[in-house]
Amino acid sequence: MVRALKDYLGRFIALSDEEFEEIAKVAEIRTYDKKIRLIEEGEQERYLNFVLKGLVRKFFLNGEEEVITQLAREGEIINSSVSFLSGEPSQYIVETIEPTTFISFSLESITRLYEQDALWQRLGRLIITDLYLQKETWELDRAAYNTQERFIRFVNDNSALFQRVPQKFLASYLNIQPETFSRLKHLLRTRSVVANKANYSN
Amino acid sequence: MSHSSVNINDYLGYVHKFVQKHMALREEQINLFIPYLEIRQFAKKQVILAGGQVENYLNLVVKGLVRKYILIDNREKTLQLATEGHVVQSEHSFYRRHASDMITEALEPSLLISIRHDNFQRCMETIDGAEQLARQLMTYMFIKKDAHYLYHVKNTARQRFIHYITHHPQMLQRVPQKILASYLDIKPETFSRMKRLLKVNY
Repeated sequence: MVRALKDYLGRFIALSDEEFEEIAKVAEIRTYDKKIRLIEEGEQERYLNFVLKGLVRKFFLNGEEEVITQLAREGEIINSSVSFLSGEPSQYIVETIEPTTFISFSLESITRLYEQDALWQRLGRLIITDLYLQKETWELDRAAYNTQERFIRFVNDNSALFQRVPQKFLASYLNIQPETFSRLKHLLRTRSVVANKANYSN
Repeated sequence: MSHSSVNINDYLGYVHKFVQKHMALREEQINLFIPYLEIRQFAKKQVILAGGQVENYLNLVVKGLVRKYILIDNREKTLQLATEGHVVQSEHSFYRRHASDMITEALEPSLLISIRHDNFQRCMETIDGAEQLARQLMTYMFIKKDAHYLYHVKNTARQRFIHYITHHPQMLQRVPQKILASYLDIKPETFSRMKRLLKVNY
């Protein structure tokens, strides 16, 4: 269990066993059933969550419409990041799709780590930078690729998620009309779409 | 980039002010960054970062106006219009060290305080407080990016137009209309029509 977190943090920074222990001892295991909300719109985010097992979505409401901005599975981080960083009420909702177990860190424990050592400042900076770049990629993909390209990119890059995530959530995440999504999925089965994939991969 | 006699030491006050907006550091501490900073000047319409290059700089606009854009199907999509006091760069390329799909150019004669990637890393490793400063700056950018995005999707073209010209009236003078329309994601014809309807003086 600890291994997965260590691997994730290792992407940003090499930690000794003692250093990792500092983090592990403030970690909280939190387990939720499927379709449970970790945070509602208007609440303040107090946790940073690492997904140990399960699948989670993050979305905001645009009028009645749910716009999914993130799908997080094992080995990824999810929370209402802006609320966590700013202290402002959340504009996002985070909800489990499958029964999910998190390794969570409270705002207070992270703040304490920051005060202890510049190493944690560095780790925090690198994780925030990573989240920033993820957000930018998500925004740019929506602007730069057409519907079919977004669909193909997702299938190619996240084939495992494609099987796991309910279709209506994927359609929202990729900003594709549900009917169009069904049609693309059908095309995918007949392989006519994937044949073009070389044109889009970078 | 043009050579000139402008020296970073002429801009100490500017650097102090910028840093202290994000973190309470004493001027002596801030001065430790000065040897790593450089002044870069660009002429109107000069490209700062061409597509396909790796972004080597984090830039603070002191004077002028920098536009960041990407090409989508040969159309320019403006992502940012950075004026005095704004930070601008191709983030993905800077942090991940790969070729940029974004282009930055000076829309006006511009003066930037820049830190090169290797110097940025050196500051992080050697200057007390640098990690915290960089973390807080990234946090600020993250929060701003999210607010910008949510505002954009939750409001209509007309609302975006009115909000923008109310809050940034001088930009109508400074930025060509088709660039502003692209930035606000409004069709050029719609932009002209709204301007007429609202009797905006250009």
